[in-house]
Amino acid sequence: MSTKNIEHIIELSKDLRWQIGDDFHDVLSESIYAEASKIVESSVKKDDQKRRFRIDAQIDKIVTSKVWGFPIMLLLLGVVLWLTIIGANYPSSMLASLLLDMIHPMLKNGANFLDFPWWLSGFLIDGVYLAVAWVIAVMLPPMAIFFPLFTLLEDFGYLPRVAFNMDALFKKSGAHGKQALTMSMGFGCNAAGVVATRIIDSPRERLIAIITNNFSLCNGRWPTQILLATIFIGAVVPESYSSLASLSAVIGIAVLGIFFMFFFSWALSKTVLKGEVSTFNLELPPYRPPVFWKTIYTSLIDRTLIVLWRAIVFAAPAGAVIWLICNIYIGSESIAAWLVHSLDGFGFLLGLNGVVLLAYIVAIPANEIVIPTILMLTVMVVGIGGGAGAGVMFELDSVTATGDVLKAGGWTLLTAVNVMLFSLLHNPCSTTIYTIYKETKSKKWTTIASILPVIAGFVVTFLVAQVWRIFS
Amino acid sequence: MEKQTKSACETCSHYNAEGLKKLGVNTESFDFVVALAGNPNTGKSTVFNALTGLRQHTGNWPGKTVARAEGAFEYNAQKYKLVDLPGTYSLLSTSEDEEVARDFILFGKPTLTVIVVDASRLERNLNLVLQILEITDHAILCLNLMDEAKRNHIEVDARILAKDLGIPVVATSARFKEGIPELLKTISDLANRKITCKPHKIKNIPKNIEKAVEELSTSIKKEYPTIANSRWLAFRLLEGDKQVIEGLRTGKFV
Amino acid sequence: MSTINPVVSLLVFFSLTILLYYVFRPTKGIYFLLKKNYKSKTKTIIEDILKLLYHNQVSNKNLTTNDLTDKLNYNNQLLIESISKMIENELIYMENDSFRLTELGNEYALQIVRAHRLWEKFLSEKTGFDKKEWHERAERKEHELSVDETNKLSELLGDPKYDPHGDPIPTKTGKVAPKKGVSLSELSVGAVGRIIHIEDEPEIIYKQILAEKIHLDSQIRVVENNRMRVVFHSEGEKFVLAPVVAGNITVLVLENQAVSEENIMRLSSLQENEVAKIIGLSKECRGENRRRLLDLGFVRGAIVEVDLRNPLKDPTAFLIKGTSIALRENQASKILIKKE
Repeated sequence: MSTKNIEHIIELSKDLRWQIGDDFHDVLSESIYAEASKIVESSVKKDDQKRRFRIDAQIDKIVTSKVWGFPIMLLLLGVVLWLTIIGANYPSSMLASLLLDMIHPMLKNGANFLDFPWWLSGFLIDGVYLAVAWVIAVMLPPMAIFFPLFTLLEDFGYLPRVAFNMDALFKKSGAHGKQALTMSMGFGCNAAGVVATRIIDSPRERLIAIITNNFSLCNGRWPTQILLATIFIGAVVPESYSSLASLSAVIGIAVLGIFFMFFFSWALSKTVLKGEVSTFNLELPPYRPPVFWKTIYTSLIDRTLIVLWRAIVFAAPAGAVIWLICNIYIGSESIAAWLVHSLDGFGFLLGLNGVVLLAYIVAIPANEIVIPTILMLTVMVVGIGGGAGAGVMFELDSVTATGDVLKAGGWTLLTAVNVMLFSLLHNPCSTTIYTIYKETKSKKWTTIASILPVIAGFVVTFLVAQVWRIFS
Repeated sequence: MEKQTKSACETCSHYNAEGLKKLGVNTESFDFVVALAGNPNTGKSTVFNALTGLRQHTGNWPGKTVARAEGAFEYNAQKYKLVDLPGTYSLLSTSEDEEVARDFILFGKPTLTVIVVDASRLERNLNLVLQILEITDHAILCLNLMDEAKRNHIEVDARILAKDLGIPVVATSARFKEGIPELLKTISDLANRKITCKPHKIKNIPKNIEKAVEELSTSIKKEYPTIANSRWLAFRLLEGDKQVIEGLRTGKFV
Repeated sequence: MSTINPVVSLLVFFSLTILLYYVFRPTKGIYFLLKKNYKSKTKTIIEDILKLLYHNQVSNKNLTTNDLTDKLNYNNQLLIESISKMIENELIYMENDSFRLTELGNEYALQIVRAHRLWEKFLSEKTGFDKKEWHERAERKEHELSVDETNKLSELLGDPKYDPHGDPIPTKTGKVAPKKGVSLSELSVGAVGRIIHIEDEPEIIYKQILAEKIHLDSQIRVVENNRMRVVFHSEGEKFVLAPVVAGNITVLVLENQAVSEENIMRLSSLQENEVAKIIGLSKECRGENRRRLLDLGFVRGAIVEVDLRNPLKDPTAFLIKGTSIALRENQASKILIKKE
């Protein structure tokens, strides 16, 4: 067939389009719906005219009421987070003792037995294996608790009501109410939160939700916050208040994250994203009792394992890099030591130190390994005993011992506060960055999402450090 | 609408496979490819799971499956590939989900399309059904969530509906696996073309638009005599759909 | 390691921030001014003069050199140079101290107007930019679009006839639909009409009209008109405007009083336990938003009622075709209904 005739059809369509006028789409939509009504008239019998099922309406009245709407929401989120953080402790420590205290020495012995050269067993077992083991031990239990709980709420149909309740707040910062949910999902894992933004079908609001998801303090960062708050912030108040003080500090950081999320949502919608198409609609589906076991099973498969797998894929090479920079020497210094010293000046300006900055650079793949890396680097740089050897990440059993190592590394209250801030405000982990790229398919937005939080982190820690120094 | 005579080539499975392969569907070793379409929140993914035994997560959310999910099942010694399309309200707009769903039905030409609807919200769901019936002749209506409809005191007469729409209608409650055997049998019957569809076409369009559509669709048919959905292409052309224009130019529809 | 004085570093930081702000702040920043100056070469100036002359010629006003220097924000030297260049190229000529467009100049001016209005249409249909920004963005874009690009743009948009403010878009061949209607401030009490144009210049007045949420294509009835204020009813709401503001709204008077649809109102004003039928979507509801609402079933003839009110007032969930769908106030206000 000749293309000429096709062009003729297209030309014809243009002419006809001009004749019909602008409202073709309206008329077509109306006609189809009118036809649907006609068909329904003959085949559907309704007993109770139009009224929605009564129990649904009753539940909706309560969960969106002025009095109960917000308390119910906060209570549910609080319970889910509490169950996750407290409940994950036991399986986490069990996994840690299994993977780190039992299997790791066994592997080392096995490597010795097989006469591996020191560098090979170091690289594979101390580097790659340890990083992966760490990520699994810290990441798996909270996610295995958080996601099923969240999914149950989702399947029941409660989450769209949360979006409905919260929308006015998000609208003010140019975002969509559904971002309340992707944000909450981010408390579990930012990568999962980014995937969850698929429920937002408006292009601009979805990008906002993706870029700002990192401001939700994720599972990999809660332990860091809790540990530092316990060691440093709990210590400045009388002992009877110490757990209260450290708890408030952690919650304060999470709330600060929400504040930054709102602020950057607003700033983005007013600047780089203002040209993106923005629409709003939110369907409130009927409540459906979730099929309990199936939900648990599918959320484990769909969310937990997929995210865990991605994390492992990224953590393994990171472990290798950490081991290598600690064991390759330039002159008399290892690469790590050299990097720590060159980053010290900039670190001081931010109220941090070179160790912290290097730890955040090499631990891009997973926030979970930041504390072990910091401890390992501190021991190495300061030259005190207690470590497990160059390039071997470790954590100490007692909080006091961890505090002693950090204080030996020159940490003050300011350092701790700023590390807590920087842990909230830094680039997303590489799993999240990769996920952002997969979801947006855009290098530009991925770059913005990666760099924006680091800049915020630099500015905030810098300001805190300077003001702190002036007043102390 | 006059009935098109189908060439032998158009109905054989190899013919379908070509279009599907272009959309990245592995068609090797499958006898049929079945697309699963429907509004968001109609339990589409539950139907998908009930048919394939896969456990894909189904959230109580509009628009959960953005990417295409694929699964397979066997029935009467024939192998079926099932493709779960994103849930959409319509195929007339330009969102990403709608493009995925539309491209698959339009360019992929699956053996048949199962349209899942919520029995208690039939009117809203028929909007999409009527649009799909403009694109394809081989479709089955899966009247899902019958349990919920019963709770809401809504009765749907599947027989009248089947007559009005001109396609087989199967009532199911996929959550409880009710109606799934019937659905499987209907899929098999239609796939083997034991039953024929005479789908309902949209009728009550204002005269001036109907005239334009007729004129365009006639000239499309002149160019591509075997095309089954010239009317729908005419709709899209009148909306200035870039992809359909491109598809016409490159002959993607043939 | 040397320590750095915190006060000094803070000072350095803030002065850097302020510097960056002054360089890069939107529209008034040094960077943007430089960019604008670099771009506002003779071509832009010439095109702006042509446009100004065209608009004034349409309303039968004559412009002298002084008028041009007053109205256009350019360096006088540059303006004079451009004018002489335009006379040389036979785009304009002098007549009794004022400038007139030649045939060629008129054609050129129409092309710029076409590009401007098409770009506004594009912004309204295919992007999320706010109404307030359309005009300014089109002011810049009109100088960048070639004739070819303009035609392609028009095709992409389906060759629209009107821009989002209700102004006619000149066709490829330079035809312009004549302007109709009268200014709202000239209507007498009791007059019924339909808003067909909302002027987007000057910006101060346009912003006031936008703040009032007056919708293009809505039907109005004047209930008061004096030197102090113009009061009218539209879509179930009451609007009070200063005469200057009302002067920027053009209304097509509907002679036949019977067409008056007084009981049309906006969905946003529907109360709980009321049932209404949808009459249609306002012209103000555009692009992707409009298509979405239609897909969701907000079509003419559909029955709608309030399902749930939000604890924070916005959005409201409406029951439509068996499903509860939440819409924000600014969307609901663009859906027109009639109570059952």
